[in-house]
Amino acid sequence: MGPAFGQLGCLHCDALVHVGALPGGLRACCPRCGHVLSSRPPDAVQRALAWATAALVLLVLALSFPFLELRRDGIENVMSLPSAAFTLFEDGYGGLALLVLAFVIGAPAALLAMLLLVLLPLRSRSAPPWLVPSARLLFSLNNWSMVEVFIIGVIVSLVKIASMASVVLGISFWSYVGFAISFTAAVASLDRADVWRRIEACQA
Amino acid sequence: MTFPADSAAGAGLAVCHGCYRATPVEAGQCPRCGSALHLRTPQSLQRTLALLFTATLLYIPANALPIMTTDQLGSSLDSTILGGVILLVQYGSYPVATVIFVASVMVPIGKLVALYWLCFTVHRGHPTSMRQRTVLYRVTELIGRWSMVDVFVVTILVGLIQLGGLLVIRPGVASLAFAGVVIVTMLAAETFDPRLIWDRASEEARSDDG
Repeated sequence: MGPAFGQLGCLHCDALVHVGALPGGLRACCPRCGHVLSSRPPDAVQRALAWATAALVLLVLALSFPFLELRRDGIENVMSLPSAAFTLFEDGYGGLALLVLAFVIGAPAALLAMLLLVLLPLRSRSAPPWLVPSARLLFSLNNWSMVEVFIIGVIVSLVKIASMASVVLGISFWSYVGFAISFTAAVASLDRADVWRRIEACQA
Repeated sequence: MTFPADSAAGAGLAVCHGCYRATPVEAGQCPRCGSALHLRTPQSLQRTLALLFTATLLYIPANALPIMTTDQLGSSLDSTILGGVILLVQYGSYPVATVIFVASVMVPIGKLVALYWLCFTVHRGHPTSMRQRTVLYRVTELIGRWSMVDVFVVTILVGLIQLGGLLVIRPGVASLAFAGVVIVTMLAAETFDPRLIWDRASEEARSDDG
C-alpha cells in the first residue's frame, strides 16, 4: 500500500475526489461517472519492468527473423517485418508502409524505451532530467501503439491466404505474439496516477 | 462561462491532462509534469466537429474505392471493404467475416454517430443521462484503434503475396483513406472533452444521475 493520493480530479466529469491509500490490486473509481482514477496492481514497478525487459528481447527477435513464409506451386516467398515495409516502399506505397511501421513497430518501440527510461529511475528512486518528459510521452503515446490489433490482422490474413497457398509461421511470428503479450502486460501494470505520485516522491 | 460549484473548475482548479493533478488554473502550467493547464480543452466542440467532418468525407472514398487489387494469372480483381466481407461470407469463413464487418463497418460508423451525437447534446446543453453519455464516450475512445485491422490485413497480404506473374496483391487507394478515417476519428475522440457533458446540468440532476 502506497501513501494517499490526496485530491485527484476526474478528467471525465470534473469531480474532485479524495483518494486515500490504495492497497495493491484495488481500483479507485470516480463516484460520479465511474472513470477509473487509479488501478494499482501489486508491485507495479517491478512487474512492469520485468514485462518490459521481456518485450524488448522479443521485439529484437521479431525484427530479425522471417515472419511468414508462403509456398505455392514450387515458388516461395519469405516475409520479415522490415522486408514487408521495404517491399511497400519500393512499389510506391510509402505512405501505407510508414503508417503501418509507425503503429506496429515505431510507437510500441518508443513506448518500450519510455517505459524503461521511467521505470529504472523509479526503481532506484532517482530523478534524472529525462524522467518527466519521458513519462509525459509514455502516457500520450499509449493509444497509438496497435500491437494487439496487428495480431488480429495477422490471424485474419492467415485465414484469407489459406485458400490460396500454404503458409509457414516463422520464428518472428511467435516472437511478435510473445512481444504483444508482454508489452500489453507491461503497459497494463502501469497506473498513471501512481506513476506520477512516485515521480513526485523521487523529485522531493 | 460559470462552472458548477461542485466541480474542480468551479473551485478554480484545472485537472492536468497529463497527470490528473488538480492545480489552480492561474499557474498556467502543471507544477508536476509541465503540461499546459486548461479548465476545459480549448475549442473542444469546434475542433471535434471539424475532425468529424474530415473523417466523414474520407469515409466515402474509403468504401467506394478498392482497398486492394489481386492480379492472378493475368486477370485483375478489385475488392472494396464490403466486397471483402461478402467474399468471406461466400467462402463460409463467418468468424473472420464478422471480425472484419465489426472492425471496418460497425465500429467506424458507430464512432462517428456517437461523437456527432455527443457534440449535439453538449451544444444543446442536455441536462440528462450524463453518466450514460460519459460511458458512451469511454467506449468510443477505447474501441477506436480496432478499426485498423483491415489496413493491417491489406499490408500483410501485399507483403506476403508476391509470387511474380502468378499471384500478386497490390494495395488500393481506399487503404490510405480508411487509415485516415481511423486516425482522424481517434484524434476527434481525444479532442472531445467529456466534462462538457456535465457542465450544464443542475446540481440535483448531477447527483441523481451519478
